[in-house]
Amino acid sequence: MAEPITPLKTVGHPTPRIDAVDRVTGRATYSRDVTLPGMLYARVLRSPHPHARIRRIDTTKAAALSGVKAIVTHENCTVVWGAGGIAGGRQYVDEVKAITKQRRYAFNNPVRFVGDPVAAVAAVDRHVAEEALQRIVVDYEMLPFVLDHEEALTPDAPKIWPEGNLSLDVENQAKPLAQRRGNVDEALGRAAHVFEDRYSTQFVHNAQMEPRACVAAWEGDKLTVYTPTGGIANCRHDIARDLGLPDEKVRVVCRYMGGNFGNKNQNQDSDLIAASLAKLAGAPVKLEFSRKEDFIGMHGRWPTTQYYTVGVADDGTVDAIRLRAVSGMGPYRKNSGGMAGLDLYGCGNAEGIIQPAYTNKTVSGNFRGPEFPQGYFGIQSMMDDVAYRMKMDPVEFVLKNMARTAPGNAPFTNFTLEECIRRGAELFDWKRRWHPQPGSDPGPLKRGAGMAFMEFRSGIGQSSAVITLNGKGQYTLFVGVTDVGGGAKTTMGLIAAEELGVPLSKVEVVWGDTDRCPYSVGESGSRTTIMTGYAVIEAARDLKRQIAANGSPAGEQVVIASATPNPTMEGRKVRNAFGAHFVEVEVDVELGHVRVAKYLSVADCGRLINPLSAKGQMAGGAIQGIGMTLHEDLIYDQRTGQPLTAGFYYDRIPTHRDAPEIEVLFVESDDGYGAYGAKSLGESGKAPGPAAIANAIFNATGHRFKDLPITRAKILGALA
Amino acid sequence: MAKPTDDHEISRRELLEGAGATLAAVATVSALEAQPAAAQSVTTNDTVPRTTIRVAVNGMRHRIEVEDRWTLAELLRDRLGLTGTKLGCERGECGACTVLLDGTPVYSCSHLAVWADGRSVQTVEGLARDGRLDPLQQTFAEHDAPQCGFCTSGQLMSARALLNANPHPTADDVRAAMAGNLCRCSNYNRYVEAILAAAASPRSRG
Ligand code: FES
Ligand code: FES
Repeated sequence: MAEPITPLKTVGHPTPRIDAVDRVTGRATYSRDVTLPGMLYARVLRSPHPHARIRRIDTTKAAALSGVKAIVTHENCTVVWGAGGIAGGRQYVDEVKAITKQRRYAFNNPVRFVGDPVAAVAAVDRHVAEEALQRIVVDYEMLPFVLDHEEALTPDAPKIWPEGNLSLDVENQAKPLAQRRGNVDEALGRAAHVFEDRYSTQFVHNAQMEPRACVAAWEGDKLTVYTPTGGIANCRHDIARDLGLPDEKVRVVCRYMGGNFGNKNQNQDSDLIAASLAKLAGAPVKLEFSRKEDFIGMHGRWPTTQYYTVGVADDGTVDAIRLRAVSGMGPYRKNSGGMAGLDLYGCGNAEGIIQPAYTNKTVSGNFRGPEFPQGYFGIQSMMDDVAYRMKMDPVEFVLKNMARTAPGNAPFTNFTLEECIRRGAELFDWKRRWHPQPGSDPGPLKRGAGMAFMEFRSGIGQSSAVITLNGKGQYTLFVGVTDVGGGAKTTMGLIAAEELGVPLSKVEVVWGDTDRCPYSVGESGSRTTIMTGYAVIEAARDLKRQIAANGSPAGEQVVIASATPNPTMEGRKVRNAFGAHFVEVEVDVELGHVRVAKYLSVADCGRLINPLSAKGQMAGGAIQGIGMTLHEDLIYDQRTGQPLTAGFYYDRIPTHRDAPEIEVLFVESDDGYGAYGAKSLGESGKAPGPAAIANAIFNATGHRFKDLPITRAKILGALA
Repeated sequence: MAKPTDDHEISRRELLEGAGATLAAVATVSALEAQPAAAQSVTTNDTVPRTTIRVAVNGMRHRIEVEDRWTLAELLRDRLGLTGTKLGCERGECGACTVLLDGTPVYSCSHLAVWADGRSVQTVEGLARDGRLDPLQQTFAEHDAPQCGFCTSGQLMSARALLNANPHPTADDVRAAMAGNLCRCSNYNRYVEAILAAAASPRSRG
């Protein structure tokens, strides 16, 4: 059992956000709300074709339109978007960006997916800019295209890059992602039972509520960019590198942003396009993306096809897992294309070979636990099925087979997964809700229960914070966070107040501006609380030391304290958050409708800094998982390569009416790392959701749905 | 093969006109009665039809010339500087832009500014009265309903319309009334909780 956690003085109590009033009065300023004197409005023209070479672009009619101030195309703007297509997902490493062969420009020729930017116009207002786009004449030479990621790897598939359709990795090699331990072939050879199956997952768009928008303004040779980013420091560095400027000549401001969910710790092409237009026009430019542009022009979760072979002993012990998989990256490899799951199981023999393939669809990138929900859906559906075939209760099967150490027998800093599962099963009343005989409810309304579990990386690392104290006794905390929705500003304020021993109201938080704030890791990878939170603790300690040595500041004096700690783990220890989701569904097999009747999310995310926001994060993740499992999908017309379901309505993200009550049980722990023992939180709440829901649907119906999303049509097709 | 634009994207104007509006193509010039907070988008395109409308926004009366193609959201955000109203899709799918038009919730992205002529509009900026937050604003803050906050203004306005019509809704009433207000952070549980709490609060006004 984890040591019981008691709240600290300030940390650990449900606390409304320090900026809550701004958020409910409309005063919070998002990027598109920024207006500068003399500002122009910009729009982007995008490729209507999945793959085409631009023979000629004629912008003369557009330029002639009164009010048009600047036009950029691939001919006059050759900026490389370094974070837009990095081999192997190593988007933080400049050396990788420097050697990447398959460059993605702000404007590409050939264009490689419907939505690839072709031109952009800045004009006196958005209507003039939109009208100008209509006057740009583009002569396209159509090229053959491929949409399906498995088909893309067949020898006759159209080549999207000269090197072929297997995405190049960090070293520019066409090599799959490979992971191995033990000897899978041998273990499968001796296994008493061998099971094989195929699972697939779809492209799911991040669909954050705020469409991308960017305001760029030059003052001499200094560029200021107002843009939605969860990582102002990284975004600034990316913009500077792509435009050939020193970092200090770029200022990135993000006061508020309407959701992150992945790949907003870098720059966006919108930043580069707005900056280019602003330079050309000699005026500030606000670039706005429509919802459709945001859907097809940015990125979402990579679709996958996963083939599993699992070897099991008579007593239900898993002895071998083989995974062969393909992920669809779109035409640029914005991220890894990996799939999480093999590390969940303790079995000594496992092998995963994943081929990230280029396709002429919208680009894939990071979305809330980039490789987790889809990987977990595949492997935990597979294992759930194995449990039934072995006549075992899935919970018992998991407890028997889950990994209790990290790969290579590395110890966890603490291991609470078993406790999460046991307490969850009890609170959920698993024994009563789960049917030993799947699909056994009489009548058309069938209930059933399913579960899945998770581990989520919670590594420690470097970040920075600055705290000042003035003669009036006012503390000011400078942190490079944005607060993408998780509540980072408040979390950082709480940590500072705790360590300083003052109430939260005594700490002024300054955030979201690279000219005012030190480096922060950025709100991606669920790292801010752990890393920047720890830097805040160290800065507060430094301040206390200075005051102890020199006394408190008086009059106009200001004491400045800062810290950039780079903590390391003891020995080979691995640090993870753990958790399990328990779901009961009711499936109407005549209408094909799935209702989530009960949903319990159990998690050890270490110590909670602000339990109020933490709970919202877990619930939000679970509901996003429901959307992914039951309806969200970016569907393409196979003949034309056109995306058919771009936008909230056709993609079908969950609404108020789709959202059940999510119960959240935190199993808190303090392993001594991070900020007061806080672990990762934001992404982990979604990771096991789709697997748990799909397993519940199997338990209810007796039919194993192997392809996400599990739509009404699929349910009726299988069961009606 | 030349295909200048993506013809799958319907422009805002076509969409709204397709919804059955007949637009008055009257170009008149007039001074503004109330000076807008951010009046600087000046088009040089003189052929654009314009209309002068009278509209009350959060109790302040404006006589203002608008382009016939402007949406109500553009009037509010770009001309009047009321950027609390958010745009999540600009095609009637998300509810982020919800405002009250004569007390009825509408998607301001899908309403032309000229349609507001002679009517009164309430936005999130008009919810607090005399420096006091609306009970909904109070409970939204206390229950941590906004995560990113981008859908919040729309959720608030739909909830205000609901409580005006039905001061004591059930959780299901709330979900039904709010079905047109998406929240990708999916903090739906918290929004429902906060709305019920506001309805129960002694300060809630119908
Ligand atoms: S912006 Fe109006 S409904 Fe989405
Ligand atoms: S709070 Fe982020 S979309 Fe609702």
